[in-house]
Amino acid sequence: MPELLVQYETEIWTSIGETFVMVGVSILAAILIGLPVGTFLFLCRKGQVLENQFVFSILNLLVNIIRSFPFLLLVVFLIPFTRLVLGTAIGTAAATVPLSIIAIAHYSRLVEQSLLEVPKGVIEAAISMGASIQDIIFKFLYVEARSGFVLGLTTSIISFISYSTIMGVVGGGGIGDFAIRYGYQQFKTELMIYMIIIMVILVQLIQFFGTTVSRMIDKR
Amino acid sequence: MIKLHNVSKSFSQFQAIKSVFLTIDQGEIHGIIGASGAGKSTLLRHMNLLEIPDEGEVEVNGQKLTSLSSKELRQARKSIGMIFQHFNLVANKTVYENVAVSLEITNFPKKERKNRVLECLQFVGLESSLEKYPAQLSGGQKQRVGIARALANKPQVLLCDEPTSSLDPNTTAEILGVLENINKSLGVTIVIVSHEMEVIKSICNRVTVMEAGEIYDTVLIEPTSIQIIDNSPRYYVEQLTKGGGMDDA
Repeated sequence: MPELLVQYETEIWTSIGETFVMVGVSILAAILIGLPVGTFLFLCRKGQVLENQFVFSILNLLVNIIRSFPFLLLVVFLIPFTRLVLGTAIGTAAATVPLSIIAIAHYSRLVEQSLLEVPKGVIEAAISMGASIQDIIFKFLYVEARSGFVLGLTTSIISFISYSTIMGVVGGGGIGDFAIRYGYQQFKTELMIYMIIIMVILVQLIQFFGTTVSRMIDKR
Repeated sequence: MIKLHNVSKSFSQFQAIKSVFLTIDQGEIHGIIGASGAGKSTLLRHMNLLEIPDEGEVEVNGQKLTSLSSKELRQARKSIGMIFQHFNLVANKTVYENVAVSLEITNFPKKERKNRVLECLQFVGLESSLEKYPAQLSGGQKQRVGIARALANKPQVLLCDEPTSSLDPNTTAEILGVLENINKSLGVTIVIVSHEMEVIKSICNRVTVMEAGEIYDTVLIEPTSIQIIDNSPRYYVEQLTKGGGMDDA
């Protein structure tokens, strides 16, 4: 193993751990909140079963606003909110707040798009059978859209990793922050390149895994 | 059995259905025919309230659908089956699961679900394809799954929206045979929308002809029984080269 990597082994492992925490929390937020928000976005659209122009417009606007922030500005903008929620705006835990918010906005849009690809006739068939909203969601929509959900989540996770690299600005740490502080600011270019290689491998693995799973569960 | 009373429906500026009155009796196979855009599918979709009328009342199985709560309406829909031109199966569910889902929705007793699914699939002749996905089936087989799914909850009415319009002549005859059997042996009232005259003539007892959102006429007919149309390549070539052109048909 290159000498530099051995020398900084502890720091590197710590930074990988921080990245995993930040991305992990983002994934949880995306699934636990982004999925329902995306489902609502879809269901409240014109012509859908919960058609509600008001709710749709509000959600749609909110998602658009969050996604149009340059992420660095969103982090800074959310500092007071983060402090309100966690008592501090500094550190890895604090970094998960803006990351989760962008994760929810990002993934809910992809969920909505996957649901839009479900043929309208399938929903009509469900209604004609006497399905409740809950049945329509879980027994029809989610079954038909599941491979899209997995592909969307894969894309999202890769974005979350990218977003997490700038969390150094609020002391969030992570691989990106390590690469900047040691590799760039201390002129250890070699170290920076190693970090980039780690990121590339990570992204390749995630993409491969995501594509494989989505193909396996797609029977269309 | 089915009563439409003064039903009207508009889509933005376009008036699709204009104050329609129609009564369909128990045990009928009732056809609705007309040109594209005449409103026949829209009319059919009022019979389970997939379309909600702007005006008028819809009554099925003695229940006024238009005055039910959404929960009661869901309950009422369980005894109104529907099949579609494009089948509308869940592509990520197997044949078995596609039929079973309609029983899950209606809280059909869990222990009897499997038997009921198999019974329905046997009725349509698909008991050997339980584990297949819709993508692995032919059009005719997909429609059979659609029929099995619609039958699972023992409906009193079966609504058929262009059920054979994406099928070839032979398969059309087979599906019509299945529908006729459902009417004869299970006593299910069938309403069938089609733009194909042959389909309507071969299976219906009474036919409503629609034009521009209105009922032009309702006529009693003597079903001609289903003809198995020859669709061998030789037959096609013969028909194409026979001469005489369009008038021949």
